Amino acid sequence: MKLFDIVIVGGGGAGLYAAMEAMKTNPGLNIAVISKIYPNRSHTSAAQGGANAALANKAKDDTVEMHIFDTIKGSDYLADQDAVEVLCSEAPKIIRELDNMGTPWSRMDDKTIAQRPFGGAGRPRCCYCADKTGHTILQTLYEQCLRKGVIFFNEYFALDLSVDGSSSRGLIAMNIKTGKIEAFPAKTVIFATGGYAKMYWNRSSNAAGNTGDGQAITYRAGIPLKDMEFVQFHPTGLRKSGLLVTEGARGEGGYLTNALGERFMKRYAPEKMELGPRDLVSRSLETEILEGRGFDSPAGSFLHLDLRHLGADLIKSRLPQIREMCMYFEGVDPIDEPVPVRPTAHYSMGGIDTDNFGRTVMQGVYAAGECGCVSVHGANRLGGNSLLDILVFGRIAGRAAAEECQKFNPSAISEAELTEKEQELRSFMRPQGHYERYGALREELGHTLGMNVGIFREASKIRQGIADIESLKERFQHVRVFDTGDIYNTNLTQVLELKNMLDLAETVAAGALVREESRGSHTRTDFPTRDDEKWHKHTVYTIEGKHPKLGYKPVTMGRYELQERTY
Amino acid sequence: MSDSTIQHHEERRDVTFRVHRFNPQVDSKPYFDDYTIKLERGITVLRAINYIKEHVDSTLTFRAFCQAGICGSCAMRINNMSKLACTTQVWDELEKAREPGVIKIEPLRNLPHIKDLVVEMDPLVGKMQKYSNWVDSKMPESNWGKKEFLVSEEEFLAYDKATDCILCASCVSECTILRAHKEYVSPAVLLKSYRMNVDSRDSMHDKRLADLVQDHGVWDCTHCYRCQETCVKNIPIMDAIHGIREDAIERRGTKDTSGARHAEAFMEDIEKKGKLVEATLPIRTNGLAWTMKNLLPMAVKMVIKRRTPPPPPLVKASKGIDALRKEFREMTSHVGKDHEKKSGE
Ligand SMILES: Cc1cc2nc3c(=O)[nH]c(=O)nc-3n(C[C@H](O)[C@H](O)[C@H](O)COP(=O)(O)OP(=O)(O)OC[C@H]3O[C@@H](n4cnc5c(N)ncnc54)[C@H](O)[C@@H]3O)c2cc1C
Ligand code: SF4
Ligand code: SF4
Ligand code: FES
Repeated sequence: MKLFDIVIVGGGGAGLYAAMEAMKTNPGLNIAVISKIYPNRSHTSAAQGGANAALANKAKDDTVEMHIFDTIKGSDYLADQDAVEVLCSEAPKIIRELDNMGTPWSRMDDKTIAQRPFGGAGRPRCCYCADKTGHTILQTLYEQCLRKGVIFFNEYFALDLSVDGSSSRGLIAMNIKTGKIEAFPAKTVIFATGGYAKMYWNRSSNAAGNTGDGQAITYRAGIPLKDMEFVQFHPTGLRKSGLLVTEGARGEGGYLTNALGERFMKRYAPEKMELGPRDLVSRSLETEILEGRGFDSPAGSFLHLDLRHLGADLIKSRLPQIREMCMYFEGVDPIDEPVPVRPTAHYSMGGIDTDNFGRTVMQGVYAAGECGCVSVHGANRLGGNSLLDILVFGRIAGRAAAEECQKFNPSAISEAELTEKEQELRSFMRPQGHYERYGALREELGHTLGMNVGIFREASKIRQGIADIESLKERFQHVRVFDTGDIYNTNLTQVLELKNMLDLAETVAAGALVREESRGSHTRTDFPTRDDEKWHKHTVYTIEGKHPKLGYKPVTMGRYELQERTY
Repeated sequence: MSDSTIQHHEERRDVTFRVHRFNPQVDSKPYFDDYTIKLERGITVLRAINYIKEHVDSTLTFRAFCQAGICGSCAMRINNMSKLACTTQVWDELEKAREPGVIKIEPLRNLPHIKDLVVEMDPLVGKMQKYSNWVDSKMPESNWGKKEFLVSEEEFLAYDKATDCILCASCVSECTILRAHKEYVSPAVLLKSYRMNVDSRDSMHDKRLADLVQDHGVWDCTHCYRCQETCVKNIPIMDAIHGIREDAIERRGTKDTSGARHAEAFMEDIEKKGKLVEATLPIRTNGLAWTMKNLLPMAVKMVIKRRTPPPPPLVKASKGIDALRKEFREMTSHVGKDHEKKSGE
């Protein structure tokens, strides 16, 4: 293939915004978007709640400054304050821009964009389109990219960067429909491959493909990852699938009960009960399960979200979507039966270490969206700030790459490198020494992460987790790809995703072990308080041999001094 | 006692999945594989075939991503109906199974086949491009980001439902016209086109409409309602199709295609001649049901818009015409009254 100016890996909100902005910055550039699924299927479509921006449509006294403060406090002071400033001051612009290009938004009586209150925000500033905000944003961006004639390589699986010393030559990817390994020589590559929370597998609200591919690819190429130990859990995931039952169910008056029939939240938040903050409720459910007051099932222990007392009428009128989900995914009608739930891994704060323009340490390589870590979310992201993050920094990275690509003159990707890659993939198909089933490994990985590197962490358990991951990596050497065909080999792509998750899981566990404090989503039972003296810093991981080597980076401070985080 | 003593009970049984298999690299023609697995109540079809892929046959190929009915990846034909595997309960399908305990799974139709349950989506994307399925903003790009458009709740509601579409292609798979003509615009693309055309922020309504009335466009639809009955998001696709047609007649008259002319002739029968003439009606070629669903509502709306009092259909009674006449009277009864009121003022 001829040399691209920009290759964008990922067709979610971050990738598509980057593509649009790059074309706008310089329409003459040769730009491609590579995505392992059709862009409109990306996980951005799962975001229901909305995106934050201090438009002040609803609360007239809302300001960008307040948004900045809420974000920094929410991050438990681990966010870089200059990056947060960019995020929040660009927010109104980006929401309006989306409106101007045709994104449907719910409206207020005065015809301006509607806003709703969201957790951790001092004012109602979350802009939404009913309960399908991510979906409509993604649709609009995809449509606009089609309008602009962006070139898409759909169902191409990114495998690795081709690296020449300290700079990149471009990307190596597999065409899923044909199985062919292809080179994408490129002056710049922008990673926008989404999060890694799916490594918790059945205990995750994420799509099957949120396996951190971009993070794993850059990590293997020698680019540092940052703050990987921070993974956000949501209190009420469905037992079998991990899919979310939104907070609305509790907002309407749903009870959380254990196997003794108790409303156990009285122990943890006697006043707020079921409506306590997200992390506190998650920890409470987890405690009940750990202390043996959950229900047992083949799919693991769980608790009940009981809506029956609300009555059929209210459930049907106010919670129709939630009822539908329970019936579709759990086979349970909440009018007649309690819903089985447990906490679920939801969002990855960590990611590829970038500066405020999306640049990584490697020449020509950028990252944006959930796969990057600027960092604006620090130890805990606020609801509604992630869609914003992917849009704002997707756009910034797109512009930066468009402006900078002409400076780079990458060397060619050799045929030999492609052949080598092909042989590596083929090797999984050899029967000799290959007998492990990837499905089992994937499930065990999710299980050990959930048990040992989940909501509650403690040195001995994390060590157990690290040992488990190590042995899973060993067993991975013997994984067999049974499908030996070239065409649409999902057996192969799923094995490659597992490999990526294993590499990243190691960094998550390593970070969890060294960070001897509790901050945001990271709760160490053996170090229950925040320790600013020792740990007010980012963790940074680079690969050394096969394992992560840890380093640190200071947090960029600004106007806001460290404070205790209370709500 | 409370919940605590009642153990969570789950029904279990053997279920057979009869799955369409075809790998063009090795197979000369498609065949079915039977997989029988033990399942518990509450499992979706997607989880079941995932289980088969992980534990029984890793070569079984299908698309899936969100597992939550949001991304549109996993549409396939389950017991002869296109739907999402991830939102379909195995137990519900068992009730519909023709052969007890056997659930049949096939790829979507009307799109090129790739392997097993995977079909090619590019033709659909191509049609989205052909029919400009995007908002072409009234605001020049250089001004974007400065000010939001003012959009009333009413204007928003005009396209709200249509934006639920997740492009799963279930409706495409069931569309009757697409079976015969692969070039046909497709129900999902009509829906999206409509959504763009009613958006007050868009500037290319006329061009899009002009494209939609060409061959393989909106007039080719047979009004069979199959797409709407199939839609996994319960979107009233037919409202969009009717909407485009009415818009087309209103703005472009009936010059476009035979479909539009049919509707015009039908209406003229009623308006000018004061009766329905069987010979000019497409009943014989398209059937009574088709005519009633397709042309009648349109003609009634046209009559209503022009405020012409509808004369009673006077035709030599035949069985088909009788039913049509009755329906027409009912649908237009209030127009006459309205008209009387108007002229009386
Ligand atoms: C259930 C749920 C609800 C949420 N609700 C909200 C909310 O209300 N508000 C909010 O702000 N945030 C919310 N979030 C978070 C937010 O949706 C995500 O963080 C965000 O959408 C991520 O966008 P992205 O563009 O970075 O990645 P994604 O949308 O995940 O896109 C990743 C892209 O990368 C591609 N890709 C990945 N790997 C490869 C590879 N190897 N080769 C080629 N392509 C690849 C994929 O095909 C995809 O196109 C929610 C998340 C979940 C799970
Ligand atoms: S109503 Fe029209 S678009 Fe819908 S399935 Fe029938 S022919 Fe296709
Ligand atoms: S209209 Fe309905 S069935 Fe058709 S693609 Fe959209 S969501 Fe799927
Ligand atoms: S897997 Fe996304 S809709 Fe079924």
